[in-house]
Amino acid sequence: MTKDDPILTPRDTDIADAELHARLMRTWTSPPGLWAAIATVDHKVIARRYIATAFVFLILGGILALAMRLQLSRPEARYISPDRYNQIFTMHGTNMMFLFAVPVMEAMAVYLVPLMVGTRNIAFPRLNAFSYWMFLGGGLLLWLSFALDTAPDVGWFAYVPLSGPEYGPGKRADLWAQMITFTEIAALAVAVEIVVTVFKQRAPGMSLDRVPVLVWAMLVMAFLVIFAMPAIMFASSTLILDRLVGTQFYNPAKGGDALLWQHLFWFFGHPEVYIIFLPAVGMVSTILPTFVRRPLFGYMLLVGALIATGILSFGLWVHHMFVTGLPRVGESFFTASSMAIALPAGAQIFCWLATIWAGKPVFRVPFLFVLGFIVTFVLGGLTGVMVASLPFDTQVHDTYFVVAHFHYVLVGGAVFPLLGAVYYWFPKMTGRMMSERLGKLSFWLIFAGFHLTFFPMHILGLIGMPRRIYTYQPELPWAGLNLFVSLSSLVLAAGFLVFFIDVVRSRRSGLPAGRNPWGASTLEWATASPPPAYNFAHIPVVFSREPLWDEKDALPVTSGLRTDRRELLVTSLAAAIPQARESVPEDSLWPFFAALATSAMLIGSIFTPWAVVWGAFPMAVTLIGWFWPKGTKEEMS
Amino acid sequence: MKQYPVAVRLASAAGAVVVLAMAAYVGWAREPRTFRLPPPLQAGLNDIKLMASGIGGAPPEAFFAMGKPYEAGSFELSQGKRLYSWFGCAACHGDGQGGKGPSFIDGWWLYGPGLVSIVASIRDGRPHGMPAFRDKMTADEIWQLAGYIKSLGAYSAHLSAPGRNDDKSPIPAENRAPAEILFDPGPTPHHPDQGPTP
Repeated sequence: MTKDDPILTPRDTDIADAELHARLMRTWTSPPGLWAAIATVDHKVIARRYIATAFVFLILGGILALAMRLQLSRPEARYISPDRYNQIFTMHGTNMMFLFAVPVMEAMAVYLVPLMVGTRNIAFPRLNAFSYWMFLGGGLLLWLSFALDTAPDVGWFAYVPLSGPEYGPGKRADLWAQMITFTEIAALAVAVEIVVTVFKQRAPGMSLDRVPVLVWAMLVMAFLVIFAMPAIMFASSTLILDRLVGTQFYNPAKGGDALLWQHLFWFFGHPEVYIIFLPAVGMVSTILPTFVRRPLFGYMLLVGALIATGILSFGLWVHHMFVTGLPRVGESFFTASSMAIALPAGAQIFCWLATIWAGKPVFRVPFLFVLGFIVTFVLGGLTGVMVASLPFDTQVHDTYFVVAHFHYVLVGGAVFPLLGAVYYWFPKMTGRMMSERLGKLSFWLIFAGFHLTFFPMHILGLIGMPRRIYTYQPELPWAGLNLFVSLSSLVLAAGFLVFFIDVVRSRRSGLPAGRNPWGASTLEWATASPPPAYNFAHIPVVFSREPLWDEKDALPVTSGLRTDRRELLVTSLAAAIPQARESVPEDSLWPFFAALATSAMLIGSIFTPWAVVWGAFPMAVTLIGWFWPKGTKEEMS
Repeated sequence: MKQYPVAVRLASAAGAVVVLAMAAYVGWAREPRTFRLPPPLQAGLNDIKLMASGIGGAPPEAFFAMGKPYEAGSFELSQGKRLYSWFGCAACHGDGQGGKGPSFIDGWWLYGPGLVSIVASIRDGRPHGMPAFRDKMTADEIWQLAGYIKSLGAYSAHLSAPGRNDDKSPIPAENRAPAEILFDPGPTPHHPDQGPTP
């Protein structure tokens, strides 16, 4: 240990705060300039980019939704051709699921998890940068294909045989399949980072029973990603093989199986719902205690429910396939398991209700969104129990009832908490408060607009309106409700408009927020807003579940990390006992180049299988550059 | 990072939106899928100028006006493939390798490989058994089918060639250029100097 002698290497012990800040800033900050901005590996910078990009995709997907509502506002409308309508509903679903919902939840994790567990950067920060560039590449690919009239038109689920080689002409379905590969690579990378960050980089003393619920939720979400995404990557890769090189995975005439696609897709697709929903559960469970001024009721129960939901979510995919003619035993089993997931979901709801019941609620905007979430999500959960039962599902399958149901659970279950989370953590991310007045306006517009838009869809479904139709005849009894829905969707859009105006306005001229404007209890509020590049000057030590409420005067901290290079603390998995100081990778351009090479390979493989062979060489070059030994010895102590 | 004035940022944002909208418009107008051709174009597509022998000829004006869609448009090619089975072409021509009628993928074309010749063959029929389809198919259907048959015999697959069907087809899919694999040099080439390879 002579080389690491504290006398020879600069440590953070026994120096004044200002001096420590200056030294850490020198070590952790990226220099100015475009290339440095591309090379940065700061989890906060990457997460902000991720979140902003995902919200741009939300706006684009919302515009598509408005276009669909325009077309459906009256019978026999001619605003959009059937071919473009197919592309639009496919783009809307694909964009919202793969480019908005999953990435934005992961981005929130990338921003919040390292701060909430009290560390200085996410694990594998270069992989994190690579993940963002891949996500951006996938999004650009999908939207450029839409601009070129070659957007996928096969639905966001791309069922074979309609997406297969016989019925899916052109490159539309191939573009969909490779877009999936882009976003899944990005998602898997983030998932691995989250798992390692949560398991090995928690602040000393943050044993597993003191981990914030949001961090638990992100951990379970990351495991869901790791287990679910390979199924869809296999599915999309075999689909493109069937289409391009004539393999027979989904060709029943040659021993393939068309239903295999649906199994693979929904084995991913159902956990996907929880990949989106569980982070929202974590957000609600974190926001709620702050605004009712008491700790969360039933922490153990909630964490248990999170894990139970995660495990159960892999056992219900077949309820998306009830009308495919599966054996009776299978249908009964999946009806039962689909209803079983209502148990952990119910336990969560009761924990939140008990927390509110026992607390003194302060009705600020984030809390309003949480209440909106509870109301909307319970309604969506109730229709969920309805469609989980086979006889009912057989009646409403592929009708607007299902459209209403999943918008209630996805928008109600994820977008409401997400908007609440933006209002809640915006001060931390930017150092400025969002407007309470505009926030309330946007909440009520979104809440009212959402219910007015989507509740009538239940009725439309029950009176027989099928999904994915581009128009309907005037004799059918749907015109009035459709017009009402289309007008209500404008209210919903106005709510989002107010929200985005508030974000832009507050970013520039919001009131300055201090460290902890809400008086919250978790570690991210212990540092400045916005947090400095190094997050925490000293890694905090945690003695309870609500460190900032229980240690009011001064948070206990560790010391002894080096200041002349990027270092953080590695702790043990269960009890978070300090184990080692570990050096963290510096900024690098290689992840960006690796993402470029991977993108070129994936896009090339839409056109010729040889792209996989030749594209491997640039990828190998970039990976060699990425992993080239640094010269200085990796040291740990 | 450098902060630009609000006006500059607003102008560049507006500029980006305009550029994107124009790109989208250009893209959308590029190759629209038309499910029902307007009657004037239907009539125009029939207006091919055949040689007196009826073997081949010049394509009609409408074909150029539409941007020559039938040789390389993926949607038209795949429609052609479906028409191939719907109109019973396989009864004589099999999966493309021929039967009672000639093969499309052995490298030999009785009336030449031109698109207009193939259109004329389908529309007007040919001696020794090829019936005329002019009263059974619309003009654009005949062009779609002809485009597909031409692509079937191509020695290098076009990017927009269809993939395999979900059935037991014994030849490789169209996007893998079956004609290159199944090329038949024939019993005795009339012009040996042309060589046996495609």
